[in-house]
Amino acid sequence: MIQKCVCLVFLVVLFITTILSLDCNLLNVHLRRVTWQNLRLLSSMSNSFPVECLRENKAFELPQEILSSTQPVKRDIKEVFYEISMQAFNIFSQDTFKSTWEQKHLKQIQMGLHQQVEYLEQCLEEEENENDWEKMEEDEMEHSGAAVPQLGNLELKRYFNRIKNFLKDKKYSRCAWEIIRMEIRRCFHYFQKFTELLGKK
Amino acid sequence: MCVCVYVYSVCLIFFLVAFIGGKNLKSPQNVEVYIMDDNFILKWNWSNDSVRNVTFSVDYQIQKMDKWNKLPGCQYITSTKCNFSSLKLNVYEEIKLRVRAEKGNDTSSWHEVDSFIPFQKAQIGPPEVHLEAEDKAIIVNISPPGTKDSVMWAQDSLSFTYSIDFWNSSNVERRTETTVYPRYKISELSPETTYCLKVRARLRLQRKVGVYSPVYCVNTTVENKLPPPENIEIEARSQSYVLKWNYTSVNVTFQAQWLHAYIRKFPRNLSDQWKQIPGCENVKTTQCVFPQNTFPRGIYFLRVQASNGNNVSLWSEEKKFDTKLQRNSSKTWLIAGICTALISIPVVIFAVKGLWKCIKYVFFPSFKPSGIDECFSEQPFKNLLLSTSEEQIESCFIIENTDTVAIVEETKDIDEDHKTYTSQSSQDSGNYSNEDENSEIRTSEVFEQETV
Repeated sequence: MIQKCVCLVFLVVLFITTILSLDCNLLNVHLRRVTWQNLRLLSSMSNSFPVECLRENKAFELPQEILSSTQPVKRDIKEVFYEISMQAFNIFSQDTFKSTWEQKHLKQIQMGLHQQVEYLEQCLEEEENENDWEKMEEDEMEHSGAAVPQLGNLELKRYFNRIKNFLKDKKYSRCAWEIIRMEIRRCFHYFQKFTELLGKK
Repeated sequence: MCVCVYVYSVCLIFFLVAFIGGKNLKSPQNVEVYIMDDNFILKWNWSNDSVRNVTFSVDYQIQKMDKWNKLPGCQYITSTKCNFSSLKLNVYEEIKLRVRAEKGNDTSSWHEVDSFIPFQKAQIGPPEVHLEAEDKAIIVNISPPGTKDSVMWAQDSLSFTYSIDFWNSSNVERRTETTVYPRYKISELSPETTYCLKVRARLRLQRKVGVYSPVYCVNTTVENKLPPPENIEIEARSQSYVLKWNYTSVNVTFQAQWLHAYIRKFPRNLSDQWKQIPGCENVKTTQCVFPQNTFPRGIYFLRVQASNGNNVSLWSEEKKFDTKLQRNSSKTWLIAGICTALISIPVVIFAVKGLWKCIKYVFFPSFKPSGIDECFSEQPFKNLLLSTSEEQIESCFIIENTDTVAIVEETKDIDEDHKTYTSQSSQDSGNYSNEDENSEIRTSEVFEQETV
């Protein structure tokens, strides 16, 4: 009889944990779809890349090694993707490009990128403990103000900083925006392909 | 003679330099860098108070430079700290600093600070807070840490999450709420009460928690005559959405508005960004219907307001609405799923067990009476294919029933001993399908003894 009970409890626990983790997995499905939508949107914002902008093109050096160098942990990948999505959202939320694209497209890409950010935020939050803030504070105290260095994250920050500076240097010209659009599309595409490859392994 | 004077003067100069000058001037100690938002401060200790009129100078070097440069604002200063915020650095690149003491022409050796990356070293400063009071809620407007054109958080101002600690002045009960949006409504408060709060920001990925803002206090207002609508729900139908809410009093009309969720990420006034939902203006019922194509794919916020001609209620809670997820409805489904699962698990286990026992009887028929064979070959097998629990129980009863029927048929051509045996086994199988394992073992033992 005891054995039966133990067995039952085990099954129930197993079932509940699967259901609870379902939320984030469910989000992942939506996330994938939203990302592909955003990629399509980034492609369709202009009919084609303006030829006259070609000579202004610049290598922004997407830090590909942050994903491929070490065996990436699931959470790290999520964090990297969160950073990419957030930075892209940040860039497309600047008020300085009103004339470059149609207002309709702009709104769509802002909405889409925000959706990406939102899903990732929910997902990361679900994985965090409730007392995480306190833990983080302790961590910080131990490291006397300097948080645990996250090199990958910093590389991404630098990459998006190069993009931001490029826009500023080019005075937010139409060509600069077109180049940035292509660059962010490339970044998303690379990331999406990479995670798909990872999923197949 | 000439040589002697020369040697003498060299000796004197050396002596003077060694005694008064550089070699005796110690370099500054405990040099540390403090960065909060866009404020960069370098501090150090100077123990040789006896030496008067000492000044300090700082050099810096960034990765691309192969030379040390003078740090602007930190040359020949008399204090033991220096603010170098004016230097527009790339906060993601490594920087090195060094300090030395100077007196006249003499200088100490350099004290070099470990190289660091400003963004990693920086602390998140206190956010600026502006409060609005309602009767049962406080709206907290948060400006992200740093100035408006902050370089340090330029790429992170939208990534901040905020935690709000608040408490009622008359009682010590405290609550903490977190938000990813810079405008947050603390609800379920009491009217005409003083509440105080403080806010701090954090960056999730950087594992950075900021400094608390000062404490802000505010009084909630007198209770409004018309309460706001409650329990806002949205439901998807085939071609339309139904927005529902609860409201107690009658003779009230409602209106509902929507807002793009992404706009809430920006710290700006949103009052003119809310738009009317078509079909939800001056509604007399506590629900309104609008076509699904009103909202293209995305995340929105919805809110409802009541009015009765003279009075207007405050806006309801802002309900998040995701066209893709319909998160709320999916959550209720999830809960429903868990409940049904919990109920069905024992039933399924029971059914599987019953099934297993039946199968055991069919395929491993040790000392089985002939009556059981017949019963299984006919009716029960059809039922076994159906896996619902009720059917299983039924099939077990059938075993019992058909068995007794079979006994009646067979008693005619078998001897007395066998008769008792079959009648006993029929009892056994009845007990058995009622799931009493012990009795099964016991009776089968009895049965074995008897056959021997």
